[in-house]
Amino acid sequence: MNPLLHIIKFDFKESWRSPLWHRKLVVNLFLILTFAYLAANLIFLGVFLDDILIRTPIDDIDFNAYGRSFVLRRLDQFLLYYFFFDFIIRYFMQKLPAMSVQPYLHLPIKRSSLVHFMLLKSIWSPFNLIHFLIFIPFMIELYDNLEFIQAFGWSAGFTLAVFASSYFLLFLKRTSDVDVRFYVALLLSLVSIIALDWFDIVDFQALSGFLFNALFLNPWSLVVPLILIGVTYWLNFKFLKANMYLSKISKVKRNTVSYSGNGVLSRFGLVGRLTELEFKFIWRNKRSKSVFMMTFLFLGYGLFIFPNPEYAGNYLMYVLFSIVITGMFMMNYGQYLLGWEGSYFDHVLTRNVSFKDYYMSKFLLFAIVGGGSMILSIPYAYFGWEVLVALFCVFLFNMGVSSHMVMFFGSMNPKKIDLSQSTVFNWQGVGAAQFMMIIPVLVLPLAVFGLGFLIWGNMGGILFLGAVGLLSLAGTKYIG
Amino acid sequence: MEISIQNLIKVYGDYTAVNIPELLIHSGEGFGLVGNNGAGKTTMFRAVIDLLEPNTGCVYIDGSATNASEQWKSFTGSYLDENFLVGHLLPEEYFDFVGAIHGIGDADIKAKIEMLEPLFNGEVLGGKKLIRDLSKGNQKKVGIAAALLFDPKVLILDEPYANLDPSTQIRLKELLKMLKHDRGVTMLISSHDINHVTEVCERIVLLEKGNLVKDIRTSSETLKDLEKYFAGAGMPESAE
Repeated sequence: MNPLLHIIKFDFKESWRSPLWHRKLVVNLFLILTFAYLAANLIFLGVFLDDILIRTPIDDIDFNAYGRSFVLRRLDQFLLYYFFFDFIIRYFMQKLPAMSVQPYLHLPIKRSSLVHFMLLKSIWSPFNLIHFLIFIPFMIELYDNLEFIQAFGWSAGFTLAVFASSYFLLFLKRTSDVDVRFYVALLLSLVSIIALDWFDIVDFQALSGFLFNALFLNPWSLVVPLILIGVTYWLNFKFLKANMYLSKISKVKRNTVSYSGNGVLSRFGLVGRLTELEFKFIWRNKRSKSVFMMTFLFLGYGLFIFPNPEYAGNYLMYVLFSIVITGMFMMNYGQYLLGWEGSYFDHVLTRNVSFKDYYMSKFLLFAIVGGGSMILSIPYAYFGWEVLVALFCVFLFNMGVSSHMVMFFGSMNPKKIDLSQSTVFNWQGVGAAQFMMIIPVLVLPLAVFGLGFLIWGNMGGILFLGAVGLLSLAGTKYIG
Repeated sequence: MEISIQNLIKVYGDYTAVNIPELLIHSGEGFGLVGNNGAGKTTMFRAVIDLLEPNTGCVYIDGSATNASEQWKSFTGSYLDENFLVGHLLPEEYFDFVGAIHGIGDADIKAKIEMLEPLFNGEVLGGKKLIRDLSKGNQKKVGIAAALLFDPKVLILDEPYANLDPSTQIRLKELLKMLKHDRGVTMLISSHDINHVTEVCERIVLLEKGNLVKDIRTSSETLKDLEKYFAGAGMPESAE
């Protein structure tokens, strides 16, 4: 048997034997349903694409002149934008496929076969498949409306264009690091193209129409996407073949970290030391760092709420906002409380640290990040001083009550977290406890607020939240 | 199979990992590579079988450069670390695969594995455990066995004794001695522990910060010499 066939077989085995399948059934079921829902949405979009296009009122193609190819002509006008936009999303999100070729490098398999294998495998990416979820229903309808050769020309051309775009992106990402400036430049050029088109300076719609219409008007024009995919494939092949060396494959960047001594927190004694250690931990590992950074992203949440006049004076919204601001990190980070340290938990167990101090250090961490987010949100007082009161009271409640719940549920998660991965779409370590936790942490403060609201009204509800939090803070000796 | 290293230099940033102007390993030689951490042992082995791109220089096995032709793959058995295993396979499946791509029939693979059985010490086969779930020591057994499966003419093992249990260490030594004596396999073996390599290798090369410092024939005299080196390594020169 050809060695490549073995590797392909192994690849299927790998996904079949992936540790992912050993997760709780509920989690897998939830994920499958989510993906099925998303896929169904896209397929529906594809099925109704022709209706949508017919109703889109912004162009000047005459229905009577083109008859059955009318819908396709309308679509073609926008495809250039579609591919451009798709490319921007890909640039931002599509990762280079994990190269699992190392186990084969020292075996008698040709380097070039390995490269072909890697390249063909990269076709099987969600960023490619998503287009076909939308366009396969559309393509099927195409065969009803056009002659076979026309429909074939267009669908083949579209498919090749998707793959060529994918290969081009992978080549770009392989040869240069992701650069935010390039990303911004892409976005700006998209905006300016739309602007040029909008003000009738350059007719990109016509250009797009010309390019993609050719695919069904003249089957010979298929040569163009064929050349495109040939060139992009060849570029990738050349590059990979010349660079298939361990140091380049594994792209391990050994960051140098400068020694940082004891900071301000050491004045809190052992607990402070532990918290400080945890901050170092968060900063020096990819996944924990992205959780931390996400907290800052959520600081902008208020900008979506407060400018909306519908929510003005809506105290429930203030409470929800404050829960997100002061509790986001606690929820996101605390849900894996012990999982973070999974890879060196034995170390934690054997050190001279009591579990009370250990949990206290986590508490201090939540307090610092939650309090910090609260302070950074002070500018929201612009939308009314009540926001500040809500922030403070919810912060007290989060610290006094929710933090215990987070630690309780978080410690029920026995999985260790793979620290080297980013958080986006990362379900590693997610268990039922996480879903269970969201409910009390989100719902309980709302319920407490509701109770206070019924008795004392809006402001009373918020102050009630704070009072409960304060009481709980004073009354508990924390977990331990 | 004669291995010749010419002008091999690998630099990481401003750190020279390996700098070997010339080194000739004779056919059938037992070549032991020793040195402290960061001496460049692994880098050198990786460069020999074209797993990393040196800044300058080239390695020839029997006259053909390893980075120009992939010929070496058919007769070189190597095990450098567990990343070269296919983690989601059972050890048996992995052996079948390695055997198959070397063109060995199923029956022969079975026979070969039976021969290597003592090496596993009853731990690896029939366990229904995927390679990725094996302990480091057992993974190493799988890797070494896979490297020996197809009767290689050149054998490259990086730290083969580390993580191995004592019984397997002894059996591996016996097996390597036998292979060298009966089949004339050219062996490149690295270790932190001098005693492990001296038993199998008649020639020992000492690396220090990528440079070749000592190149000696194994004898009790030279052993003492090496021990003295390791005891004093890192000390200021004036101490001598």
